[in-house]
Amino acid sequence: MPDSAPLADDTATLLHRCAYGDRVAFRALYDRWGAKLHGIALRIVRQPSLAADATQEAFVQIWQQAHRFDPERGSAEAFLVTLVRYRALDIARRTAREVLGYEGADEPDDSPDALSRMVSSAEGIALKRCLERLEPSRRKMVTMAFVDGLTHGDLAQKLSIPLGTVKSAIRRSLLSLRECLAA
Amino acid sequence: MSDRDEDDAVAGAFALGTLDPEDRRAAEQRIAQDPAFARTVAAWERRLAPLAAIPEAVEPPAELWTRIEQATILKATNVVPLRRARQWQFGTIASLAIAASLAAFIVLQRPEPAHVAVLAPIADGTAVLLAIDGSNGHLTVRPTGAIRVPTDKDLELWALTKGDTKPRSLGVLPAEGRTLVASLRPDTQLLVSLEPRGGSPTGQPTGPVVYGGTLTQIN
Repeated sequence: MPDSAPLADDTATLLHRCAYGDRVAFRALYDRWGAKLHGIALRIVRQPSLAADATQEAFVQIWQQAHRFDPERGSAEAFLVTLVRYRALDIARRTAREVLGYEGADEPDDSPDALSRMVSSAEGIALKRCLERLEPSRRKMVTMAFVDGLTHGDLAQKLSIPLGTVKSAIRRSLLSLRECLAA
Repeated sequence: MSDRDEDDAVAGAFALGTLDPEDRRAAEQRIAQDPAFARTVAAWERRLAPLAAIPEAVEPPAELWTRIEQATILKATNVVPLRRARQWQFGTIASLAIAASLAAFIVLQRPEPAHVAVLAPIADGTAVLLAIDGSNGHLTVRPTGAIRVPTDKDLELWALTKGDTKPRSLGVLPAEGRTLVASLRPDTQLLVSLEPRGGSPTGQPTGPVVYGGTLTQIN
């Protein structure tokens, strides 16, 4: 992921130029973000051809909806990440995902190494700190849900715990993250 | 738990992606209808987005950009009657295009245009490229808005004659445009690609095609 403040500004500028129909900016955005967004989609849909579909749909939406990006409401990175995740989640819900497929990293996503990738932005540092305050089992649920695109039902099955327990654990985790981030 | 907390928990689960399909669809409908709820969801999207640093980047298939290009550039050519095209002075066309908020190239071959095409684009139906094919062999290419090219890159203009499989280079195209001598047949495709500084080292486009359109004859 692009990791410095000037690059963060550049992504916002590229999005702004896309909103004005600038194809050069669109290509630059693809060069910078294509592999990252594809990697995010691949973890969720787990099949390369579906991940490419999600990434394509996301970039088409980026081109069509760049004018909706409002820097007051969130970062350009969050805008891109949200678009590709929602496309991937839609595809994952529409298609029965293969249980065996792309597995991604060897290390667990809630390992210190994995979480340390978040420290490239102020928002990431704050979220990492707040995630580390959660009980380990809840931290694991939140990161698994986000990275692998798992529903409450998927988590219950995968972790062999009752659905109600998963729902309340996610709810409590989110509310404590909100409080911690607001502090 | 208050209603506000309840909404916040649903919005958070939506952004996290954990809602089961039925609840997700209900939340999507609510986002479309309830601006306050939509803002709550947006706040969660922003809070959780840094988690996207965890998945590793994975190079997409090489043809993905082509698929995205095809999905975002309309290939169709909308033909404008010649008389009307003559009345459109260059500035009018430029300001129209600027009004349409598009940074695009205008291609003019002057004087006495014999063929004209407006290449309409992209999703929202606004024109990005006007091509007027004249008879004296002068081709003028102008952007209608500011186009910023990365400092290590140049734009290069190409002509692909109908029936040919390889475009020929018409040279590097400065971001502010240029006039050149080129004798082009109707149905020639004009393409602009993004190349290393100084233009393509191979004589063929090596970078992505970022603008394109076809000259069409009018009778």
